[in-house]
Amino acid sequence: MRIVVGIKWVPNTQAVRFDPKTGTLIREGVPSVVNPHDLPAVELALQLRDRYGGEVIAITMAPPSAMKGLEHVLGMGIDRAVLITDRAFAGADTLATSYVLAEGIKKIEKDIGKVDLAVFGQETIDSSTAHIGAQVASWLDWPYIYYVHKAELAREGVLLVERRLEDRVEWYEIELPGVISVAMKALKPRPVSLIRKIRVKQENPVIVWTNKELGLDTRCIGLKGSPTIVSKVTFTPEVPRKKVVYKPRDGLDAAVWLLEQLAKDEKAGKVIERAVRGEF
Amino acid sequence: MPGGSTPQKFDVIVVGAGPAGSAAAYLLAKKGFKVLVIERGRGAGSKELYGGRVYAAPLREVWPELDKEAPIHRWVRKERISVVNGETVATIEYTASKPVSFTAYLPELAGWMAKKAEEAGALLVDEVRVDEIIVENGKIVGVRSGDDRVYADVVIDAEGANRLLLEKLGMVERASPENLAVGVKEVIKIGGKNIEERFGLEPGEGLAWVLVGVTSGAPGGGFIYTFKDTVSLGVVVHLRGAIKAIESGAFTDHVYKLVEGLRIHPYFRKLWADGDIVEYGAHLTIEGGLSFMPKKLVAPGFVIIGDAAGLLLNTGYTIRGVDFAVYSGKLAAEAVEEAFNKGGPTEENLKVYEEKLRDSFVYKELVKHRGIEKVMKDPDFFTKYPAMLTLTLGKLFEGEYEEPTILEALLSSAREAGVPLLSSLLKLLWVVRRL
Repeated sequence: MRIVVGIKWVPNTQAVRFDPKTGTLIREGVPSVVNPHDLPAVELALQLRDRYGGEVIAITMAPPSAMKGLEHVLGMGIDRAVLITDRAFAGADTLATSYVLAEGIKKIEKDIGKVDLAVFGQETIDSSTAHIGAQVASWLDWPYIYYVHKAELAREGVLLVERRLEDRVEWYEIELPGVISVAMKALKPRPVSLIRKIRVKQENPVIVWTNKELGLDTRCIGLKGSPTIVSKVTFTPEVPRKKVVYKPRDGLDAAVWLLEQLAKDEKAGKVIERAVRGEF
Repeated sequence: MPGGSTPQKFDVIVVGAGPAGSAAAYLLAKKGFKVLVIERGRGAGSKELYGGRVYAAPLREVWPELDKEAPIHRWVRKERISVVNGETVATIEYTASKPVSFTAYLPELAGWMAKKAEEAGALLVDEVRVDEIIVENGKIVGVRSGDDRVYADVVIDAEGANRLLLEKLGMVERASPENLAVGVKEVIKIGGKNIEERFGLEPGEGLAWVLVGVTSGAPGGGFIYTFKDTVSLGVVVHLRGAIKAIESGAFTDHVYKLVEGLRIHPYFRKLWADGDIVEYGAHLTIEGGLSFMPKKLVAPGFVIIGDAAGLLLNTGYTIRGVDFAVYSGKLAAEAVEEAFNKGGPTEENLKVYEEKLRDSFVYKELVKHRGIEKVMKDPDFFTKYPAMLTLTLGKLFEGEYEEPTILEALLSSAREAGVPLLSSLLKLLWVVRRL
């Protein structure tokens, strides 16, 4: 099996802060990481390879600094990686990104060999669109299923996937080649291994493609190929905390205490009065 | 690229890409040794919570290009020592003719050092934890991480102050609270121009400020450092004395409150007014010093350097270790090379490292500052003496009609601070001799 797994190199949003005055992200000095939701996808791809043989190729469209992230997944056991990097790709929305990734997969098929499966994470921590898997499948005209927790070959050319939903577990068979997105936290990613990391450093199994190699129409990539417009972003204002801690004896005690506190509040107190008068 | 466990062999494995490890790796790689550096954090220096002052000369011996290339923030031109007692502050300021130290963020500086080692040909692997040093037939032969084993003729332990590997080897005891200090700091961004205006500095110049009397009676001290466009302020409290101070009821605050107290202190707060707190952190450190040094710093195929070797000096208000660490890395690299030339890294041949270290400024500094440990045990130093000093100055400068003589002021201040004047003067003399 030849599996391609998509990786996004994202600013660590836990470390990102908002500038309340301009409403923009302060990215200065924020370290980037491999999108954490991509790691279960990497793990699933590695498990499939370990079981059925073949190879796993990581693919990312990112600035050159993403090499660090590729080193991480190579250290986990990915066989080789493709870094698609070019200023022409900058400013891409999900449509332009998925187009480039789909074309990257096509080039992998041309240069390296037939791809059986493309695996993505559910979404990214810096934009949470969950578009990429579905869009790549559309560009490639491959079947797609998301929210995958487990996968195995049902038979030659058919993948059996398990989806765990709130109230049920579903199994689907999808024909290969296909695309799947792996649910957040579905699998625990394996740690980076010392010997693999040494090999990564010694052999550097990363293929770098710019648009010179891909040769894509510049109207379809980067900012120009991105129809998405972010019209407005608002941030939840910070509420000053009262820093009161109360340890209730039980649920009723907690409710009574909370009601008392609210009754003391000017605004909430009036609402409570109206409720008592039966005005609602 | 298949996984699996084809044996990997290096001349030298360095555990830890801090200043000590990178210095040793850099020098050995430059000499043509096949060097592997293994770092647990993500990127070199990523585990460090430290921005502070670094003495340049020992670093220049390893990297002569330091001044031009390293991520130096400001050269320390101004030194201040302040004794704080409530709202009163007594300060001594010294302006150096030629700066000998600079301020830097350690993650940046360690990153630069590691890059130097890589450029020299060392292979640096991060995000990998070494679980164990492998011993075979009484000789150290490599390291184990998970199921992976990598072998080398020499392993250099630069794991830092948290010496899990040395503990496993039985070469050191576990650090007890007696040996630990807790540091809390804040980094406030105020912009380079503001720093120069508010601290009276020329562009590129920096200030290092030591504070006594800001730890609510717990043994320790405070510090303020200036960086490119940020100021860091913090306190270090020694656990040994803090526990006693808490038991005696002299110290009741949470340690983070001490830093907050410093930030909003009426005398200091205007220095970082309108600034943005960009970083906040706490960090457990060892006190270091000779008592923390392992009995042996070498074993067959094995050398210990940097903080792991106890080569740091925590004086309560400042932690000095980067220059010691780098220098010990340099000495270890020399010793390893000599040992190879003499026929191999046996314990006998590596012993030259211990000798070199004993003859170096590092060891001499550690011996010289041994007295500080005693000072740290004496709670009077953090309560009564600061009070006595500021009270005395207060009496001298705040007399509205009558101005007392210095002796009168001293005597009455000593009485108010609750220390007999003669004994405190003797103690002071005793301390000054040891500092």
